[in-house]
Amino acid sequence: MWNIFISVFTSILLWIYNVLGQGPNMFGIAIILFTILIRLVTWPLNAQQMKGAAAMQSLQNDKEWQDIQKKYAKDKEKLAQEQMRVYREKGINPFGSCLPTLIQFPIIIALYQSITRALATTPYGLLQLSRTASPFNLINISSMIPLNSKFLWMNLGLPEGIPLPFQISFFPYGFPLLAIIVAITTYIQAKLTMPPTTNPGDQSAAMSNMMSLYMPLLLGWLALTFPSGLAVYFITSNLLGIFQYAMQGKANWRNLLPGGSKQPQVQAPKKTK
Amino acid sequence: MSKKFLFLSTALLAVILLSGCASGSVRGNTWPGLSATNDVAYLADGPFVYAVNLKDGTELWRYPDQRSNKYLFYTTPYLTSNGLVIVGSSGSSFSLIALNPASIDATTKSPTVAWSFSDVHDHWVAPPLELDGRLFAPNSDGNLYVVDLKNGQLVKSIELGTDLWAQPVSDGKNVYISALDHSMIAVNKDNYQVLWHEDLGGAITSPPMLADGNLYVGSFASNLEKFDPASGNHQPVEKTNAWVWGTPSLVNDNLYFGDLSGNLYSYNLKEGKYNWNPTTIKPDNWDPINNKEKDESKETAITASPVPMNDNLLVATESGAIYQVDPNGQSVLWGGKEQQPGGQIYTTPVIAGDLVLVSPMNSGAFLYAYDLNGTKKWSFQPAK
Repeated sequence: MWNIFISVFTSILLWIYNVLGQGPNMFGIAIILFTILIRLVTWPLNAQQMKGAAAMQSLQNDKEWQDIQKKYAKDKEKLAQEQMRVYREKGINPFGSCLPTLIQFPIIIALYQSITRALATTPYGLLQLSRTASPFNLINISSMIPLNSKFLWMNLGLPEGIPLPFQISFFPYGFPLLAIIVAITTYIQAKLTMPPTTNPGDQSAAMSNMMSLYMPLLLGWLALTFPSGLAVYFITSNLLGIFQYAMQGKANWRNLLPGGSKQPQVQAPKKTK
Repeated sequence: MSKKFLFLSTALLAVILLSGCASGSVRGNTWPGLSATNDVAYLADGPFVYAVNLKDGTELWRYPDQRSNKYLFYTTPYLTSNGLVIVGSSGSSFSLIALNPASIDATTKSPTVAWSFSDVHDHWVAPPLELDGRLFAPNSDGNLYVVDLKNGQLVKSIELGTDLWAQPVSDGKNVYISALDHSMIAVNKDNYQVLWHEDLGGAITSPPMLADGNLYVGSFASNLEKFDPASGNHQPVEKTNAWVWGTPSLVNDNLYFGDLSGNLYSYNLKEGKYNWNPTTIKPDNWDPINNKEKDESKETAITASPVPMNDNLLVATESGAIYQVDPNGQSVLWGGKEQQPGGQIYTTPVIAGDLVLVSPMNSGAFLYAYDLNGTKKWSFQPAK
């Protein structure tokens, strides 16, 4: 089942590459277009996630909720009952922020796998590619192999690095420009989506803060280690995420400044019917 | 605390999923390279190249002595006339390394490096070819590098196209090399001029076979193609049912080769036609132990070249089985069901003296040795 999922993704990716003409730079452009396509398909899920996250975050700053937390600090069962009541009253879906993420997770993994499978840099990879694309007859894969993996200064099948006049053992492929851009754009996206908070004990804000530090390092490391086609996907996805937040007016640009996440208390959303 | 744990677990899961599934990456898994003398087997398998004693299957040495991201080996180790073992790396260092097994470092217990050549832009998939004191080494960057065998110095770099994944062959005058970019190319071995450069319409993953004065090669265009080595004139002589991966083997004026659907072909050079209907000889479609049809959904590709053994052939398939096929196409499971290595066999088995060496992927051991009747003698699983 999973293999079919990957096959469909790889076929679409190769079909885009084929439509573009299979020349130099075209596989990089195909990755970008495919990422845009996936982002468009998952746009409603992202929007729902953003809405859910904002609602949950606002709740943390809500006076009534903070009082309830203090009041029932030693009675977990009662606190849970009150929490559900507050959710109901304010129209908050407790799974509104995490469920869309969970649904997107396999899509992201499949997209990544389809990119690496299409690049087929080893004999076994090429054998897998031969099986991936042929059942769907979207494209004539035999005429497309090998894919032209050149994109700008990169070979998309190899980790990216700009050659340096000297050798740094930690960066064997050269200066990792793309990995740095991946880390920066991931950091910006994470920061922009962090709602302001006034509650010093806000666990979810602490989580967001932690994620905004760890995720750039994690994705930067992946971009440093894996074929640069993956880094192109990360950057495109991050930029589109930032664009989506900005389009919906959710981007919190103040967060990019030192101390910018501390804002006056904001109101929890009113119940919508 | 629990949320931190949840986040870290999710991040870890993401890393595992992303890295574990990186089959297309240069760090990813692929099948090993195998070669042998009468005494020692050389196995290039991921981070190490192993030398294995053929007497008992024990490890003689490995290179490097410690795992390193710099090295990832899967090119077939190439044995030169002056006793070196040449291996190409696909790790972060794209080095062609000449190991000297006659000189073992007392500290590392690994062979010393006679020389290393790394002035290339991509990884090594194919082994080189030795010719008149030079190595003709094809690289994935599309260049054929001519290197001095004595010291590893670059003699000439010949730009041929993209993705050279097959070992060159020579008739003593020219060097012939196939490429993934659908090309078959002839280069003069002395002045390095490209004599001809022909397109086959499909990727070529294996070297051609020189037989009856012609070159024969299969490709992803699903043809067996015949070339005139002098002019490069070529024509498809027969269709195949699927893509052809391995080099045809020559036995008594017949070429034998498999395809990725598991069909086995026999092409008669004198008559210029197949000896049998290619759709009927598919070793893995028949389970000789239970005398019944096999599971069609099981992958049964033949990427390894058939190995001539006396008048018969050994055919290793992706299903982890080895078949003995007679000149009429009749196949039996070699050595019986209990002797099969399992896993997936993509690497061409090697006959070394009175042993047949098989190196499957995802099997219980890295290397199996059989006698010529198909009885397992030993298996090799390296210590961690």
